[in-house]
Amino acid sequence: MQASDALGATAVLDAIDGGVIVIDDAERVAGWNRWMEVASGFAEAQVLGRTLAEIFAGVDLKRLPAAIRAALGSGGSAIITHALNPALLPLQTRSQRPLFHDITVSPAGSAQASRCLVFISDVTMATKRERFLRLRQNARYDAVVARAADVILTVDDAGVVQFINAAGVSQFGYPETELLGRAAVEMFQTRDAWIANWRSALEGSPFSQPVELIAQRKDGSASYLEASASRWSSGTRTFVTVILRDINQRRATDAALRELNQTLEERVQQRTAQLMKAEETLRQSQKMEAIGNLTGGIAHDFNNLLHIIGANLHLLKRDVAGNEPAQLRVQRALDGVARSAKLSSQLLAFARQQPLDPRVIHVEGFIRDMDDMLRKAVGDGITIDMVLDAGLWNTLVDPGNVENALLNLAINARDAMEGRGRLKIEASNVNLDADYARANPEVMPGQYVLLAVTDTGTGMTAEVLQQAFDPFFTTKPDGRGTGLGLSMVYGFVKQSGGHIKIDSIVGQGTCIRIYLPRSLQAEDHLVEVDATPVAGGSEMVLVAEDDDSVRDAVVAMFNDLGYRVLKARDAQSALTIIESGMPIDLLFTDVVMPGPLQSTELARKARERMPHLAVLFTSGYSQNALAPGGRLAAEVELLSKPYSREALARKVRHVLTSAAERRSRA
Amino acid sequence: MTDQTMVSLSPLELDALTELVNLGVGNAAVGLREMVKEEVLLSVPKVAILTRQQAIENLGEGAVKRLVAVHQNFDGDIRGRALLMFPEAQSMELVRAVVGGDLSLDDLIELEQEALAETGNILLNGCLSTLANSFGRTLRVSLPEVVHGDGSEFFNLTSWPRADDGVLFIYINFALRRGDIQGYLAMLLDLPSLVTLKELLASYIVSIGGATTTSATNAS
Repeated sequence: MQASDALGATAVLDAIDGGVIVIDDAERVAGWNRWMEVASGFAEAQVLGRTLAEIFAGVDLKRLPAAIRAALGSGGSAIITHALNPALLPLQTRSQRPLFHDITVSPAGSAQASRCLVFISDVTMATKRERFLRLRQNARYDAVVARAADVILTVDDAGVVQFINAAGVSQFGYPETELLGRAAVEMFQTRDAWIANWRSALEGSPFSQPVELIAQRKDGSASYLEASASRWSSGTRTFVTVILRDINQRRATDAALRELNQTLEERVQQRTAQLMKAEETLRQSQKMEAIGNLTGGIAHDFNNLLHIIGANLHLLKRDVAGNEPAQLRVQRALDGVARSAKLSSQLLAFARQQPLDPRVIHVEGFIRDMDDMLRKAVGDGITIDMVLDAGLWNTLVDPGNVENALLNLAINARDAMEGRGRLKIEASNVNLDADYARANPEVMPGQYVLLAVTDTGTGMTAEVLQQAFDPFFTTKPDGRGTGLGLSMVYGFVKQSGGHIKIDSIVGQGTCIRIYLPRSLQAEDHLVEVDATPVAGGSEMVLVAEDDDSVRDAVVAMFNDLGYRVLKARDAQSALTIIESGMPIDLLFTDVVMPGPLQSTELARKARERMPHLAVLFTSGYSQNALAPGGRLAAEVELLSKPYSREALARKVRHVLTSAAERRSRA
Repeated sequence: MTDQTMVSLSPLELDALTELVNLGVGNAAVGLREMVKEEVLLSVPKVAILTRQQAIENLGEGAVKRLVAVHQNFDGDIRGRALLMFPEAQSMELVRAVVGGDLSLDDLIELEQEALAETGNILLNGCLSTLANSFGRTLRVSLPEVVHGDGSEFFNLTSWPRADDGVLFIYINFALRRGDIQGYLAMLLDLPSLVTLKELLASYIVSIGGATTTSATNAS
């Protein structure tokens, strides 16, 4: 440095470990120390009198010229850092490496001769160390933070986002530049929770356990996050770094699990209810079965006894002919027998053990024929509406029982309406599908003819409904109901392969629906058997009956009617008689008898030997002996016990006539 | 805003001062634009002469406690201390604007000192040199220094002998892309310097035509 000096300033400046450039008031270099010569590669002689822009031609000097002008013009000082202006001047270290430097510009000299001092300090070491540290730190940092699946968010003490990692950018849906500098609270729906937790972390109490926050994404959607946070400081600044874990998946899984649990409970409840219903249905059907067996058994024995009583009374009536008081008493006793017989037949009906005589009928015409009878039964105070669909299917039922059932229901309805109201009788075709059958386990899916009888009466409570079909259960005052009406209807419908259902609302009325199975056969023509006159005959009758009293009574009746009679105490004996070759016109046999041979088998074998033999069964009940389900095959003739002399006479005549017709056709 | 016991400026003088400050900030903005990566718009909404206590109270408003300041001394016909102050919480945004948004938080923290020093340097130089040039005087301004603290710390630094000095208090707005930052430019002047400032303003008013009706305008 050649600046004029007597004080040895040149030597001093050259000794400084830093660049010193003196600039004169024309912005030209007036001094250039040794350090500058080495770092720039320009000797002082090369640069004196030139501006920095001339010396470093082609180099962007940025603020430096302006700073020099300010120093010269108004005494300003400036600092130009390497950090913000890296490698501003093309300087090199002694080993020809880039030399990082800070520059300060200060006014120097006096008011007369303005000067400016540019000082350049070497920050290479510090910069390299920083750079090395940063690279090392960044490598670790990147590994942990940039690739983290969790959101890592750093917020300053004003709550402003200063850093967010890649996971955060994708979580919130904003570009990074929109997130940085944003108030973090704006990124959450749970603002209060965010503020409370951020503050608590800022004050040095990190979250004791993860806190759940709801973020608001750029698209407005919510996202559930679990936050943990801690604070850290850099110099005077304090930051809170928050780790946000996406728990949407976990929440969704939890919710699904919860829902599954809930529906599981529901399903268990549903199944339990179904089970309870099924159990109740089973209990009910077991009860009906048990009562049915009991009543059926009693009625059967009772019928045999009645038959003995009735048959003997008939005979006695003839014996006392001419004795009018005696005849009157016998007649009263016979009336009693008739009423008793009715009662036991009702019991059998309920027990599904009555002998049915099913015919293929078309209920529409059948019901219309009942119109008069029904109106008489219910009385004037009750209007009857008949709604009978056209094109009803045929059904195979015992017509007498259908009539009985409708009559019973109409009478029940009348009583429930206390003589005033509206009775609706409907008939329609219905399909009971598998779903309905599942809900009503006793129902077979299929096609049915529905008869519905609806009243506007008092209705039934649930308790009454439970017992409605029980025999002898009645809600009517003493003496007005037998408690057998609905029981009979129930037994008959069940025995006919049908289904019965009661719907009732207390105070509004009751609807009873009877579903009778559809028959694909053509309608039978009903024959009024009872209309044939009472007539005897002289044919040979073989009576097979195990009960001595019954046998004696029936033999007496046959004799009385003019028939010739052979007797057997069981089926085997009867067969022996038939095989002996005796000419026999009619086999009259009890259905159920002790012994190895069943009566049906007896009838079959007898017919083998005598194809034109007439067969008439008699029974207290049918059970399954004659046909499965207790329904008679069309060709089987049955006379139910107890029977009157007239009934016996008509039936026997009818059977013999039919046999004679078959014989003449053959 | 002025106090009866201290030197007060007439409305005309205050207008002239406001204009000069705007001019200075405008000059500084040119220098700033060369350095910063994102656009920074500067404006000066208000200039006032306050007591030191009033200045401290002003800085305490709005519950902003921690401040960061770039500090430069100046000496010459008027002498004093110039401070450019921001709420500490917001200074990071200014740093981010200066160095660009793609730097990591750690880098920003590392560059904070330099960025604030250079930004403050440019602004303070701009204002001081504009004032000096307008008055035709020379100042000697020290190199900048970054200090953290609160208002009372800044205004009660040692080596400030007198209590009857005043503060030329300049509100300055930095409009950044992400929102405005309210900063303050304060010049602490001792009484003689205030008197000199008043005289210089008076002669400046005469030099530019005797009367002005200018008001604060956006200078950037």
